[in-house]
Amino acid sequence: MVNAKSRSMGQETFRRLLKNKGAVCGMVFLVLLVLISIAAGFVYNYDTDIIAINMSQALQPPNANHWFGTDALGRDIFARMLYGARYSLIIGVGSVAIGLVIGVTLGAIAGFYGGFVDQMIMRTVDVFYSIPNIMIAVVIVSLLGTSTMNLLIALCFTCATSFTRIARASVMTIRDQEFVEAAYEIGLPTWKIILKHILPNCLSPIIVQVTLLIGTTIIAASSLSFLGIGVPLPAPEWGAMLSEGRQHIRDAAYMCIIPGLAIMFTVLALNLLGDGLRDALDPKMKR
Amino acid sequence: MENSSILKVKDLVVHYETDDGCVNAVNGLTFDVGVKKTLGLVGETGAGKTTSALSILNLIPGPAGKIKQGEILLDGHDILKMNQSELEKMRGNDVAMIFQDPMTALNPVMTVGEQIAQVFELHQKASKREAFAEAKKMLKMVGIAESRANDYPHQFSGGMRQRVVIAIALACNPKLLLADEPTTALDVTIQAQVLELMSNLIHDRSMSMILITHDLGVVAEICDDVAVMYAGRIVEIGSAGEVFNETAHPYTEGLFNSLPNLKQQGEELVPIKGMMPDPSNLPSGCAFHPRCPYATENCAKEQPGLRHVGGNHFVACDAYNDAAFTLGGGVN
Repeated sequence: MVNAKSRSMGQETFRRLLKNKGAVCGMVFLVLLVLISIAAGFVYNYDTDIIAINMSQALQPPNANHWFGTDALGRDIFARMLYGARYSLIIGVGSVAIGLVIGVTLGAIAGFYGGFVDQMIMRTVDVFYSIPNIMIAVVIVSLLGTSTMNLLIALCFTCATSFTRIARASVMTIRDQEFVEAAYEIGLPTWKIILKHILPNCLSPIIVQVTLLIGTTIIAASSLSFLGIGVPLPAPEWGAMLSEGRQHIRDAAYMCIIPGLAIMFTVLALNLLGDGLRDALDPKMKR
Repeated sequence: MENSSILKVKDLVVHYETDDGCVNAVNGLTFDVGVKKTLGLVGETGAGKTTSALSILNLIPGPAGKIKQGEILLDGHDILKMNQSELEKMRGNDVAMIFQDPMTALNPVMTVGEQIAQVFELHQKASKREAFAEAKKMLKMVGIAESRANDYPHQFSGGMRQRVVIAIALACNPKLLLADEPTTALDVTIQAQVLELMSNLIHDRSMSMILITHDLGVVAEICDDVAVMYAGRIVEIGSAGEVFNETAHPYTEGLFNSLPNLKQQGEELVPIKGMMPDPSNLPSGCAFHPRCPYATENCAKEQPGLRHVGGNHFVACDAYNDAAFTLGGGVN
């Protein structure tokens, strides 16, 4: 018996999301990007196609053999772009996921218990918030050394602080609702109440923040790679490729334009999806 | 009488210690609930009814709320001396609660089936599947089609939601049900249905109930005993017949006078003059004396204790020191 009324919240949200053209475009782009980054691993060999130097082919503008041209070391930019998508995605998704777990846990504790615990957690978060993201990441990467994993750890701090704030605010509003009191009265222990009754009600703002933060994190990761402290060379990270293209911006501008556009479109797609989700999850937008 | 009570509350004192002073919500509450009996707890907003109910579950909202003294014996076990895991075992299993507003008492992102099922999972260690099957049975019992177990609370009307709340409360066959104004948020026809459902289920399952309400009509309909609360104390307690027919306390009389009466149609209602006292600043002596039409000088000095006036009927009023006292003379 499926009628217009009995749809779960997930189905309802997805249905409304499909009505938003921007969000659909963003979603399609991201799905393609994920597929491409997976496929690139099968199509290309990292050692021969991605990082092998071939000076005879250096600095060719886009042509039939090399759709996006080649860089100063003769590597095919098209292959490197496709392969590089996985760095951006892994770093973006990975650090947001770690940040999500840490941030929501801390935020839920702070919001639920309040008082001294809340003060301790939130003032620590404030300290991190008051330092620019890139600065924190630079410090952490220089302490731990440059590697993809360390970059991921460096960036998850920023994500965690932002999730802590959002989770705390939502938990504080849900905490005092009557159904939480009702959950106590049937004898549920506190941790189960937080996990089963409070957090599921805080999901909407957190989901939106996830999509938006992945975009921000991808930009941050690219910026750090551009500065030379992100994904170590010769890996084809988009930010690093942009940085390499900088020296040839007058004679081979495509070396900068292509990774730049890729970063821009990925972040744009994530933001469109995030905006769409925010509208779709907002009960006031329901028709 | 002594042996047949499921719940004994003795001299319960609950205070909320706020920055603006101490709120004396419950001040020396003593009452019994008999096995298979329904006690109606009646009083104005702020009389301490809900606080009393929450203390029976030891769920006074901290850190401000504190149970200062007293004993709450459920089947002989003192709830106030239980540790956390004993309390969690007791809640929902031995004592369950029904809330005033079914609109907010259900989790909006969980299906009603899951919400009923979690009680079975918790207290009877049932598997997910068994618990859900039990939940469907409970839904059927409260008059909701089993197929709706997968629906969310927003897909139900207010009366239906209150039925779901009742199903959750009755899931584990508690010995005692606390119903905190269960029908206040519902319209009159639904009120009657829900009350009938509740009293039928309670009789079928031999449960006791404390019904908190300010609706004397509801009390007359389903309660065996009635306790009238004022400013955190019981001012009159007895069987429903005694309290309704031989009203003894001036406050109870005031409550009845402020209800429309079929026999005196067209006459103006007589409200109780004045306001409920501020619980953080209660008047001396009998808390009702500033509003009482019979008040004497002595009323402001001493807090009257409960006095036996026949049968199971007790009243906390000094006027009954004078054997010839009857109500009615002081009402204008």
